[in-house]
Amino acid sequence: MTGSATRSVRRSDLHTNLWLALLPAAALLLLLIAPLARLALSGFTGEAGWPGAAPGTWSLWMPWQDDYLRWRVLWSLAQAGITCVLAFALGLPLAWVLARFEFAGRTLVLRLLMLPFVVPTLVAALGVLALWGPRGLLSGWLGINLQDTPWLLLYGNLFFNLCMVVRAGVDALGQVNAREVAAARSLGATPWRAFWRIEWPAIAPWLMSSLCLVFLYCFAGFGLALVLGGQRFATVEVEIYTLVAHELQIGQASVLALWMLGLTGSVALLYALLEKRLAAPSRVEPVLRRPPQGMAQWLALLAALGALFFICALPVLAIVWQAWLAGWATWVGVFDAEVRAALWNTLRFSAMALALATLLGVLHALAAQRSVFWRAAAFLPFVVSPVTVAFGLLLLYPGWTASLPLLLAAYAVLAYPFVAKSMAAGLDSLPAHLLQAARTLGASPQRTFWRVTLPLLRPALRRGMAFAAATALGEFAVTLFLSRPEWATLTTLIYRRLGHPGAASLDQAFVLASLLMLLALLAFLLIEWPVAERDVAGRPVERQLQTGDLRHA
Amino acid sequence: MNRRLFTLAATALAALPVSTPSLAADELRVMVHSSFALPKPLLAQFEAQNNIKLAIIKGGDAGEMLNKLILTRAQPVADAVFGIDNTLVGKALAAGVLEPSLPQTASASEATLGPALAPVDYGFVTLNYDKASVATSGLALPKTLQELTLPAYKGWLVTPNPATSSTGYAFLLATISGLGEDNAFAWWAQMRANGLKVVKGWSEAYYTDFARNKGAYPLVVSYATSPAAEVFYSKEKITESPTASLNLHGGVFRQVEGVGLVKGGSQREAALKFVDFMRSEPVQQALQTEMWMYPARSGTARAEVMRHAAEPAAFEAPAAQVIASQGAAWVARWTKVVLK
Repeated sequence: MTGSATRSVRRSDLHTNLWLALLPAAALLLLLIAPLARLALSGFTGEAGWPGAAPGTWSLWMPWQDDYLRWRVLWSLAQAGITCVLAFALGLPLAWVLARFEFAGRTLVLRLLMLPFVVPTLVAALGVLALWGPRGLLSGWLGINLQDTPWLLLYGNLFFNLCMVVRAGVDALGQVNAREVAAARSLGATPWRAFWRIEWPAIAPWLMSSLCLVFLYCFAGFGLALVLGGQRFATVEVEIYTLVAHELQIGQASVLALWMLGLTGSVALLYALLEKRLAAPSRVEPVLRRPPQGMAQWLALLAALGALFFICALPVLAIVWQAWLAGWATWVGVFDAEVRAALWNTLRFSAMALALATLLGVLHALAAQRSVFWRAAAFLPFVVSPVTVAFGLLLLYPGWTASLPLLLAAYAVLAYPFVAKSMAAGLDSLPAHLLQAARTLGASPQRTFWRVTLPLLRPALRRGMAFAAATALGEFAVTLFLSRPEWATLTTLIYRRLGHPGAASLDQAFVLASLLMLLALLAFLLIEWPVAERDVAGRPVERQLQTGDLRHA
Repeated sequence: MNRRLFTLAATALAALPVSTPSLAADELRVMVHSSFALPKPLLAQFEAQNNIKLAIIKGGDAGEMLNKLILTRAQPVADAVFGIDNTLVGKALAAGVLEPSLPQTASASEATLGPALAPVDYGFVTLNYDKASVATSGLALPKTLQELTLPAYKGWLVTPNPATSSTGYAFLLATISGLGEDNAFAWWAQMRANGLKVVKGWSEAYYTDFARNKGAYPLVVSYATSPAAEVFYSKEKITESPTASLNLHGGVFRQVEGVGLVKGGSQREAALKFVDFMRSEPVQQALQTEMWMYPARSGTARAEVMRHAAEPAAFEAPAAQVIASQGAAWVARWTKVVLK
């Protein structure tokens, strides 16, 4: 191929990229950046924006001057920090055990570690309540009351985030070079010393980057804190929601949202920097896994599995158990018109959002093939909290607040990065010679895309869609803000039932939560399972998952 | 290349308008608060008589419901609204979410809510106590709000948060109206020191923390009709309520709830019919034991069980304008005093 031909191909590529990027760019601009800018504006000017909104005094520095708000911000930071410390302290040994020991069911355990990511936030909150709430299984059994303490929220945070840290740890430990460890040991280093001098430096950046994400998720967390935080231990996001939905203090809420944006933005930046420092996985000889030997190793393995079960599986099982206890009558009685409508809403909103998210995600991934900037842009919806986005949309498009297109667009924008990231990773691993062969044989670029690229990327697409679907099914924050009352989804209905704490409504909430969990799981299995074993290159899929792919509201 | 992608996009986009619930021409959307309840046959009868389908939309707590109306006023989500009371009417009018005037049907003897809302029912937010746990405590009931701040009554009262519950809000307004603003907040500060518990909503306070329902607090901010509801719903037949109202000066608020038309809503005629319906004899009868309020129309026969719910002799009823202009600031001050 001559030089000028190459250039012209590049130019046409550039054009194609621009066209491809158009839709995702518009979506990001209109549904994310513009609302945030609007929010920033009302945060700076303190303008209320609604007639009848309560007049109040506020300033940009208010969250730090007012004791109550300062407590909210500081507690939000503190609970995220505490969760990071706990997740690290528990996660590292767990990851080490899972990465270094070979035992029956190890692959299953690794796969089950994905479970919390498809569990909707609200379901997780209910799981914690089912265990430790006022009439919880464990709190009743042990006779302790954790209501109005921070432990409920921290436990819920751990449920989601411990698995992520463990996964990141397992992946990272798989990158440790066996020869270096072996060399250290043969030079007389104790296992401890070998760990600290060889393994730890190799895995630290990975763990730190996953801890950044943990911090981000917990700090910007909404659903868990809303249900588990109570009056005292709720987070800033809950405060923003209360200010808007209950008090209509738009000015105050904007200021808080602005601060949240700044704080999450800085953490996200830190994460991006760490992520950049992570070297591309080089080909190393992974440390061989060995079956546990001796009492101590078996005990370590059992303790690790026990801890995982206690933190990551028990809440889910508790919901199922409570729903089972609720009895057949509740199961039958629960399917009234309201629940049927909510079920239908959940399904159709998710399906429509998924279609949109897939479209946006595929286009974004294709456009991002040669652009680092675009790659980073896919992270944008991850780092802003759904509450902030929903609130910004509410302010920016008052005429569209209760309209379905806006609701679905918000769903799609929050969910599409899953598709985009998964597809981008898939495109990277695509063997170039196949595409070149197709082109040489006379296939047009379009034909190559449909006949070669897309079939090869199907597993990646499915994975991305699976996470996007689970996100849409469990969507909560945006729905609370932007939906019409008659568009209640299962999540909002569960939340409403929780507001009526009679024993009967709690039972119903558990039944609905089981139902929602089942749906999320089903969506996940339907899309993901048939290809879960191998990806394009034939590598086990687990390897490919980056912690950055995972997110919850 | 993008033919299929575009097809996908087109399908997705085309699905939007189709799936937007088309407003049936003969559907009346009524926004109500979460405590709304009427017998199904009554509602069905209204639908049959007026040849219209009723879509009842529950908007959460009354305050939350009003905020929803305000936030969505560009595309009204309802045609009529029930449940805006004297604590909220000022805010509703200022925000312009109500049709400013209705053909008035209220008689002079009724408490009114101004021209925009027709009164449907009224009730009293007041303290309730659990008779059994007061008896076991061996203490006499407090005779003033001030006595509640004594160490003997530490950890006695649970209240819903005025910021998130209209019941809690009404009680806060009663204390301010009865004791004067500064005294009231001083009282709240003392109560905080004396183990006051604050929860999000009334149902949490009543069903989780009130001693009657296995909670730890013998006193709860509730309604004058709650003791009657206890009798009505009790599993065994009882002749005396296990709870009773404790009407203290500055602790009783009269709440009047009304029905009105949402500005910009459709179905004006049917909505007006609904206003009449809510004030009709059968509804006025039924709402007593469905929503546990007193019927607004004087001359409506009282349900038998309501003899367990005596109306307080004295109560606070601050002017709607005062509430509208100061309410938010009071809630903010309350949050500072009690929660911060």
